[in-house]
Amino acid sequence: MVVVGGGAAGAAAVAELRHHGFGGAITLVCGEDAVPYERPPLSKEFLLDAATTDGALHPPEWYEQHDIDLRLGTLATGLDPRAGSVALSDGTSVRYDRLLIAVGVRPRVIPGMDGDQILYLRTIGDAVRLRDRIRAAGHVAVLGGGFIGCEVAAAAIRLGKQATILEGLPSLLRRALPPVLGDVVAGIHAAEGVDVRTGQNVTGIRAGTGSVTVLTTAGEVECDLLVVGVGTVPNTGLAEQAGLAVGNGIEVDEYCATSIPGIYAAGDVAVQHLPGHPGPVRVEHHDSALRQGRAAARNMLGLGEPFADVHWFWSNQYEHSIQSAGICDLATGYVLRGSLTELSFSAFWLDGNQVRSVISLNRPRDVIDARRLIGAGHPVTAAHLSDDTIPLKRLARPQRAAADT
Amino acid sequence: MTTNWHETVVNLDDLWEGDMTAVKVDGEAVLLVNVDGDVHAYSNRCPHQASPLDEGDLDGQTLTCAKHLWEFNAVTGCGVNPDDARLKRFGCRVGDDGTISVDIGP
Repeated sequence: MVVVGGGAAGAAAVAELRHHGFGGAITLVCGEDAVPYERPPLSKEFLLDAATTDGALHPPEWYEQHDIDLRLGTLATGLDPRAGSVALSDGTSVRYDRLLIAVGVRPRVIPGMDGDQILYLRTIGDAVRLRDRIRAAGHVAVLGGGFIGCEVAAAAIRLGKQATILEGLPSLLRRALPPVLGDVVAGIHAAEGVDVRTGQNVTGIRAGTGSVTVLTTAGEVECDLLVVGVGTVPNTGLAEQAGLAVGNGIEVDEYCATSIPGIYAAGDVAVQHLPGHPGPVRVEHHDSALRQGRAAARNMLGLGEPFADVHWFWSNQYEHSIQSAGICDLATGYVLRGSLTELSFSAFWLDGNQVRSVISLNRPRDVIDARRLIGAGHPVTAAHLSDDTIPLKRLARPQRAAADT
Repeated sequence: MTTNWHETVVNLDDLWEGDMTAVKVDGEAVLLVNVDGDVHAYSNRCPHQASPLDEGDLDGQTLTCAKHLWEFNAVTGCGVNPDDARLKRFGCRVGDDGTISVDIGP
């Protein structure tokens, strides 16, 4: 078994292969020079020097203990599906019976947006650099009001810096939250002193010595450090070269299988066609990568299980916790539980009497309970969901024949 | 082996089956869970990033941490997902009057 990609999906996959008793050779090819690690802390506690663990997905000795041939700092340079082999950047090549491609994504780079004062965040190397540079800066601006931008802005504020968020759309976290909820997050940042500039498009930058001026449709912003978080690009090069079906990512079915038998994909790079979903789904969340990596491993072993886990993500900004489970079209209306103004709520999206997804602010237990409802067939009503006195857990109880009081 | 038993303010009457509660024992953050009538005591800090486990969910035998959804078997303390983690267990006993005591160790 060969796994290319040392992120969450890849690391979870190799563990799952051994967990299911696979005793054969496993090679894990990691492009980065670090033992596979978690990315989520890099935009949060890592920047505050508050990480309580080293973030390794498995301790370094785990690989040898489980007979995993771990190749760090090694890239897959070519894939030959007919020969069943992958060429590596160290000049060697590995044969496989089953291959998992979990090579993730890279930050979308804006042409012309580079320079000493401009940083992107993806790897631990980026995070180390960013951590040092934020400390040295007075004013940190983030380009992009997505999760990276919001989390980095929060870290800068907690480190006593001035912070500005630049977002072209009218609300923050627009790809994950409907505008009303994105505005609540903007309010949280504004209350912490962040200059939240939504609806302002960046037209260029002017680099000075030790500073950079960002030109926007609503004026100029001068800062010491500009962190760019404007999305990602899936690393589909290897797959494309080898003739796999590729769209907004490597195309896979619900078994994580690509268009070529014997080759699977999982994690940020995989765009998955799932029954019950109107369109293909490509998710860039840590928990989904772990679960999808494990599902791919089980399918590589012929255990034939479709990936049906409920998607879940979290974002920590200041002491607030934003969590979401499920996937659906956020343009439709939602049912609210709790209070927007009190910064404690859960918003549910329904399809008939079925919960499809939930987005919560500071209500992690609601999310745990809602995950049991999503895709499980339990009928709910908007009245139940919006009533804080009715525990959500109760809605997942088996239905009784007689009326419940 | 040095023990360090303390009576907690929690009585079995207050901790129903299927419930959990957090309690400070001599400065130690302790989680008490009642699974099928048996009380277990663990450190209230998730082995992942020290998040308070009592803010999570106890469903049957499964304890889920709210922070990143790590799951544990509340009876054995062993990790379910991921399966190579485990809760830090403290000795626990219930007195005749229902008082729950915890051994927080040296």
